[in-house]
Amino acid sequence: MNGSNFPGLVPLFPDGKEPLPQGVPEDERDAYNQMKKTERFMTMASESCGFKTVLAGGGGFAIGAFFSLMSASFAYEDPLVRQQHATLKTTQKAREVFREMGRGMWSSGKGFGKVGALFAGIECVIESYRAKNDIYNSVASGFLAGGILARNSGPKAAFGGGMAFAAFSAAIDMFLRRETPDED
Amino acid sequence: MSFLGGARSSTSAGGLNNDKIEMAITELDTITDFFNRMVSSCHAKCVGTRYAEGDLNKGEMVCIDRCVAKYNEVQKKVGEKIQSRGAAGNASG
Repeated sequence: MNGSNFPGLVPLFPDGKEPLPQGVPEDERDAYNQMKKTERFMTMASESCGFKTVLAGGGGFAIGAFFSLMSASFAYEDPLVRQQHATLKTTQKAREVFREMGRGMWSSGKGFGKVGALFAGIECVIESYRAKNDIYNSVASGFLAGGILARNSGPKAAFGGGMAFAAFSAAIDMFLRRETPDED
Repeated sequence: MSFLGGARSSTSAGGLNNDKIEMAITELDTITDFFNRMVSSCHAKCVGTRYAEGDLNKGEMVCIDRCVAKYNEVQKKVGEKIQSRGAAGNASG
C-alpha cells in the first residue's frame, strides 16, 4: 500500500527500512545514504547565494580578460607604443608586450568581475527575500549595482548609472524570459 | 498529531490490537490528507504556471520552504486547539 508507485499516498516506512533503488544491495545502505547526503549538500551549496556570486564574479573576470586580450592586440598597432618599444631587443619587447597585456587583462577582468559579482549577489539576495521570481529582481539589482559602482562620482551620476544599468538588465532579462515558440 | 488516548481494555488481546490498529489507520489517513493538502496549497501559491525550465528557481525554493514551515506551524496549533477543546468537552460532560 505504501509505495512509490501509488500517487497521493504518503511514502511512510519504518526507520531504516526505506526501499533502496533497483541495483543497490541491502548491505550498501549506509554507503548509499552517505552518498545521498553528499549529493544533497552539493546541490544545496550550488544553489546558495554565495556560490552564485563567486561564479558570476569568475565569469565576469574571464569575459573582461578575454575582451582585454582582444583589444590588446589592436592596441599594439598604435605607432606611439611601437616607437616606445623600438629601442628594445626582441625578447625584451615581447616580454614588455606580454606584461602590458597581462596588466590590461587583470584590470579589465577585475572591473567586469566586480560588476558580475555585485549584480548576481544582489539579485540573489533580493529574490531570496521576496520569494518570487520575476523581472523586478533584475531591475532592482541592476539599479543597486549601478549605483554602487558609480558611488564615487556623486549622487546624480550614481543615480544615472543605476538607472542605466537597471534599464540594461531589464532589457536583457526581458529577452531571456521571452515566449519561445512551441517546439512541436 | 497522534490521537492515541488511554489504552482501552478489551476482553481479548485481538480486540485491543484492533483499537490500536484503527487509531493507527486514522492517523495515517490524517497524515496523508495533510501532506496532500500541503503540497497542493503550496504549489498553487509558490510555483508559477509558466514552466520555462525544469528546475525550481531560488524564489520558488524559498517560497516553498516558508510555505511548508507555516503549514506545519498552523497544523500544530490547530491540533492543539482541537485537543484542548476535546479534553474540555470530555471533562465537562
